Amino acid sequence: MSNVVMGYKQSTFPKKLAIVSGIILLAFVILPFMVGSFQLSLMSKLLLFGALAVSLDLVWGFTGILSFAHGVFFTLGGYAVAYYLKLNLSAENNNYGGDIPDFMVWNGLEVLPWFIAPLKYFPVAFLAMIGVPALFAYITGSFIFRSKVSGVYITIITLALSSALTTFFISQQAYTGGTNGITDVSKLSVFGMVIPPVGLYFLILAYTAFVVALAWWLTQSNFGLILRSINENENRISFLGYDVAQYKIFVWTLSAALAGVAGGLFVPLNRFISPVYLAVAFGTQVVIWVAIGGRGTIVGPLAAAMILGQVQNSAERVTQDWNLIVGILLLVVVLFIPNGLMSLVPKKFSLSNLSKPKPMPETVVKPVAPSVSEPQPEPVQRGS
Amino acid sequence: MTVATAESVLSIKDLNVEFSGFKALKGVNLEVYDGEIVTIIGPNGAGKSTLLDAIVSKSPVASGHVYYHGKDITNKLPYEIARMGIGRKFQNPNVYNELTVFDNILLALKGTHGIFSSIMAKLTKAKKGKIYDVLERTGLLDQAFDEVSSLSHGQKQWVEIAMVLAQDPSIVLLDEPTAGMTTEETHATGEIIKSIAKSHSIVVIEHDMEFVKQIAERIVVLHQGAVLAEGSVQEVQSNPKVIEVYLGRETINAAA
Repeated sequence: MSNVVMGYKQSTFPKKLAIVSGIILLAFVILPFMVGSFQLSLMSKLLLFGALAVSLDLVWGFTGILSFAHGVFFTLGGYAVAYYLKLNLSAENNNYGGDIPDFMVWNGLEVLPWFIAPLKYFPVAFLAMIGVPALFAYITGSFIFRSKVSGVYITIITLALSSALTTFFISQQAYTGGTNGITDVSKLSVFGMVIPPVGLYFLILAYTAFVVALAWWLTQSNFGLILRSINENENRISFLGYDVAQYKIFVWTLSAALAGVAGGLFVPLNRFISPVYLAVAFGTQVVIWVAIGGRGTIVGPLAAAMILGQVQNSAERVTQDWNLIVGILLLVVVLFIPNGLMSLVPKKFSLSNLSKPKPMPETVVKPVAPSVSEPQPEPVQRGS
Repeated sequence: MTVATAESVLSIKDLNVEFSGFKALKGVNLEVYDGEIVTIIGPNGAGKSTLLDAIVSKSPVASGHVYYHGKDITNKLPYEIARMGIGRKFQNPNVYNELTVFDNILLALKGTHGIFSSIMAKLTKAKKGKIYDVLERTGLLDQAFDEVSSLSHGQKQWVEIAMVLAQDPSIVLLDEPTAGMTTEETHATGEIIKSIAKSHSIVVIEHDMEFVKQIAERIVVLHQGAVLAEGSVQEVQSNPKVIEVYLGRETINAAA
């Protein structure tokens, strides 16, 4: 039985891939020492957007669920951390003595609401950053994927989720800060020491690297194969014994948790969070990153989020209409490179090819028919 | 095969299926015994595929019951039915074109289908051995790492048969396994099916009477959603009702 089948390895991490990843990671490690504080802050933000794009790639690129709600998961994680940082403002920085955030006082609240108060403590806020978006995704996902809703209707539901939450957060001004969101938060500190921008950058870099590695590891396994099969034909795989809804709920929830942590790290960097990131416009941007980068490629969406962010930054200096440039870029990609920028990378350099070497074909004479027994084709007259 | 003493694997009682008012199946009764091949024939629209769909819960059953090893599986979820050991091959090759033949078989392999086991799953020697085995049985060894989209129609049919084999079900439902195959491929498929029958019960839908004669043990004729006749090839061919339904049809003429 010494055949290519028996020698096949499903998931490997070849030297070439390790070297390429190592060089890229090294470039990101030395970056803070090469650029100014503005670029450092921009790159930190773009790394988080990249992680957000990768989280959507798991759901859309691999599993085929187009979601405009990933901004929502991102923002829910963001609010959890924003409350934490707001509640930990030192007394002299808070006009109202440090017990209750300023925007709550302005909106007539006299006591800190019981459901926000525990977020003053780091472990609670940390768990909320992951757990709130994950729970929200688990509940919505259970409804969406256990029902008969499919395809474009799921996408419409994600649009509705995004709009509904935006409206809700704006309307609950006393608790959420309304349209302004939560501003003037304290800096993130560990044991009383404020984390400097470089430290924040490395924290974010580590998280993004983790998201990429996790996405790669998951999609290289049987699990990834199942996601791709759900994407291509979800009915067929249920007849092979797979609970498709369970897989979708899992990847939806996982993706939301990953997006939520990205949002949580975004707040100490950005120093505020607002319903802008809940809105459909931001959710659409995430979709654009994945579409331009290439669905199901992991590094494509990451690269697209970062490159587009830099393009936007440069374009903003020249014109207010940078959205037009991004729009034109999207049109060009959709029309001429439907599989995204990663499809332009020659196959032999692509991640999937590096990580999944095709076995060397053996020169075997192809049998015409299966060799169950010796088939003796007899002159048969075929009906119909 | 002595039907009377064998155990009933699949038992269909008074099965009715409706599509917005149209009665696709009207009170179908059918027993499938351990290790036998049941061939279902019938004109287009007779309800053959619908019957298989109802068994695996692809189409909802309006009334009646499907029992599998005595257990009522009517309208259970498709994945639950699949896990119990009912394998289905669809009429048009229902395979993953963007995946390799190997990955298609790997997906179908019998085993736990849970999320965490799929993440942690290792491609063991035993699994590779099983895949090798079904690829060998279906003559696909040399195409193992080709994308399915690059295969011929007949080969895609074999991929799906190989997937059903990898599931290792106790009953195999095959919907026109030879559709679009050449004469040689059809014959070879018949031999595969016979070899499957050694360890599985099989329900197969076929149009091609030559092929039916090659494999058939018991034939069930469906017509307008009901069982018209049942018996051996000879019995069915000489049944006046069957002759009437098929009158002027090439299939039965070629077979007669």
